[in-house]
Amino acid sequence: MRDAKRGYLSQRQSAWLLLVPFLATYALFLVYPFFRGVWISLHDWNLLAVAFNPDAREFIGLRNYQRVMWGQNIQWGFAAPLLQGLGLIGLALAVFLRRMDRLSRFNAIALGVVSLLLVVLPGFHPGEGGRWYDRRFWPTVGNTLVFVGFTVPGVTIAALLLAAGLNRETRAMGILRTLFFLSQVLSVTVVTLIWQIMFSPRQGLIANITEVAGGTPINWLTDQQFAMAAIVIATIWWSLGIAMILFLAGLQDISKEIYEAAALDNARGARAFWFITLPNLRRTIMLVVVLQIILHFQVFGQSHLMTQGGPNDTTQVLVRYIYQTGFRDSELGRASAMAVFLFVIMGAFSVIQFVVGREKDQ
Amino acid sequence: MKHVLLTAAAAATFATGAAAQEVTLGRFFGACEDAGTDTTTSVGEPCIIQSIINAADAELDGIDINTLPTDWGNYYDQIKAAFAGGTPPDVFVMHRHRIPEFAGIGALSEISDDLASVGIDSSDWSENALEAVSYEGGIYGVPMDFHANLWHVNMDLMDEAGLVDDNGAPILPSSPEELMDHARMVEEATGQDYLAADFAQFPIGVRLVLALMWQQDANIFTEEGTATINTEEAANAVTAITQLFEAGYANPQLNYADSQQAFLNGEAAVLVNGTWVVDFYDAQAADPDVALSNYYAADFPTLFDTGATWADSHMWAIPSTLEGETRDAALQVLAFINDHNIDWARTGHMAVRNSVVESAAYTSLPHRDEYSGTAAIARDTPPSERYGAIQDVLNRELQAIWLTDKPVEDALADAELEVQDLLDR
Repeated sequence: MRDAKRGYLSQRQSAWLLLVPFLATYALFLVYPFFRGVWISLHDWNLLAVAFNPDAREFIGLRNYQRVMWGQNIQWGFAAPLLQGLGLIGLALAVFLRRMDRLSRFNAIALGVVSLLLVVLPGFHPGEGGRWYDRRFWPTVGNTLVFVGFTVPGVTIAALLLAAGLNRETRAMGILRTLFFLSQVLSVTVVTLIWQIMFSPRQGLIANITEVAGGTPINWLTDQQFAMAAIVIATIWWSLGIAMILFLAGLQDISKEIYEAAALDNARGARAFWFITLPNLRRTIMLVVVLQIILHFQVFGQSHLMTQGGPNDTTQVLVRYIYQTGFRDSELGRASAMAVFLFVIMGAFSVIQFVVGREKDQ
Repeated sequence: MKHVLLTAAAAATFATGAAAQEVTLGRFFGACEDAGTDTTTSVGEPCIIQSIINAADAELDGIDINTLPTDWGNYYDQIKAAFAGGTPPDVFVMHRHRIPEFAGIGALSEISDDLASVGIDSSDWSENALEAVSYEGGIYGVPMDFHANLWHVNMDLMDEAGLVDDNGAPILPSSPEELMDHARMVEEATGQDYLAADFAQFPIGVRLVLALMWQQDANIFTEEGTATINTEEAANAVTAITQLFEAGYANPQLNYADSQQAFLNGEAAVLVNGTWVVDFYDAQAADPDVALSNYYAADFPTLFDTGATWADSHMWAIPSTLEGETRDAALQVLAFINDHNIDWARTGHMAVRNSVVESAAYTSLPHRDEYSGTAAIARDTPPSERYGAIQDVLNRELQAIWLTDKPVEDALADAELEVQDLLDR
């Protein structure tokens, strides 16, 4: 037996051999740049100056992080009662519901952690005579959170409803599925161009409709109250497709017999959707939500191309700030520090997804 | 047919020869397909510059020019990234205000001693133009123009409001109070806005406020690097403009394209924009389908003590890393552009060469005599490596004032803090 195998690779060896192309690319284009990014973030590093003189950088330890995230005379207190109050309520709920056994251990911990962050983070504020070193960073993080907070539920709910509506084996439904997925294949430049025209107060479709209806057109992209909404709407339209496909796949996994049994119990339509479809799609929903969160934290093109972060920074998002700091201001070290911060946030959500993915069905 | 094509391709290969030197060229101004090689008839910034480049490509022996795809809004980011990656374009356009940043770290090639060898006579440049391309005593580029903010005027609206003098020139305000009076007159006579500009995205609003500050002999920061924005002069400048918004004589929410459209549609008597659109608006005014039919390009009026308008310069530079034949070829391209200063001036920009400025071809360009005072009042902020970021701070805080009702004093205080941070970095 052993002799016959001589000259062949062992399973382990062939596995490594097949993995090498991937691992090499992965190491070269992801692992190495990541650690180099962390390394750059520990330096005072001017993009242009270092290109001409490699010695023009200076090791400054964690000072970039301090300059970006901290400030002078920063104190902690109940500076944002609304958010912090919400966090306290969340904490209380997590403890209470867990005690009453209405919440799984995992969900209770998740709710607890989020609530705790909500209590702690908004509490930091500059005291008397103090200030943030970088006055734009935290507002930018806040804008990014708002964007994610509206886009993710928007995409998830819209995609779920569409998928439920289109989950039938007719030709019309097939065409509609393709149509709804089509927006996903467009690049961000095309999407933003389409929506800039849609939102234009002069020739845009939306303005024309409002005018026909007798209203005055909204300057979507330059009005403080609508700019973020405009970006969210364009993004939902754009990224509906993948979520919808995932939901369709999930829906087709649900056995017809369950619906038949439910129908006998008089659960049809909306009731069937609520009591049968949703519980069975729980894991798909979780997957879609986490994937969307990770994806949309990286929003850049919509804000950069549609509003240039304005008006008054209301649509300035983290990646755009990183880009500006790195390229416009040439401060690569500082930009890298922000990028590491973004990595930590997205890493946390990846861990959540990993944990949830491993959780056994209850 | 196939043979013809193949022969043509082969002939083209022979004609250019293996020795053709490729010169990569980076520019903004926007794209122009089919610009051709006729530099004397093209219209608008993108097409005029591309026709000059195409002509250089065709006429300069042994030089192939490859115009790189770049995007206006991200131009400098792209150039910096190219420098950082070690592949900057061999010839590229830039603004005067970027010289401290690029020349300061040695990115630009000093060409003081090379100009004569390719036939560029720097003594023909106006004093200002020479200053624009100089850095610490050396010449780092070939100037192409001065550009500045003008008041583009719809004379029909002004006429209805009784704001045209006996010589047929528009009557423009000489104080903030008069600005309001004129705006009211236009509104009452025509129902249209008095003034339009991009107050919402591109920093035209910033340039307006800067001009009004300079008119009071104030500036946003000193040569020594102290921010001076939270001042009475700045507040005066801002309120001169916000009073128009409050009274409904101007709309702060229009961006560049929308404000331009409003002007062309006859919905605003005045558009504040640069010299770069004079030939375009002139062509639009001749188009019977466009509401604007009687166009005038006026000097930025003086609302305070001294005349001033925002101005800058376009110039062409080559990277310091360039050597040998490529550098020679790049210099020839610079010379070719310098030779076509008159063509570029057709955009509406002011020429940099004395011989061009004095020529009949220049003085007879459309509307040229209407804004002949602009060269004398051209101003800009003190040089800074952080020009881009500083403009951005001002743009943000000014937008906060007119788009989000932030109190003027708060916005100016915040702007001063942030600009000081940038100057201190």
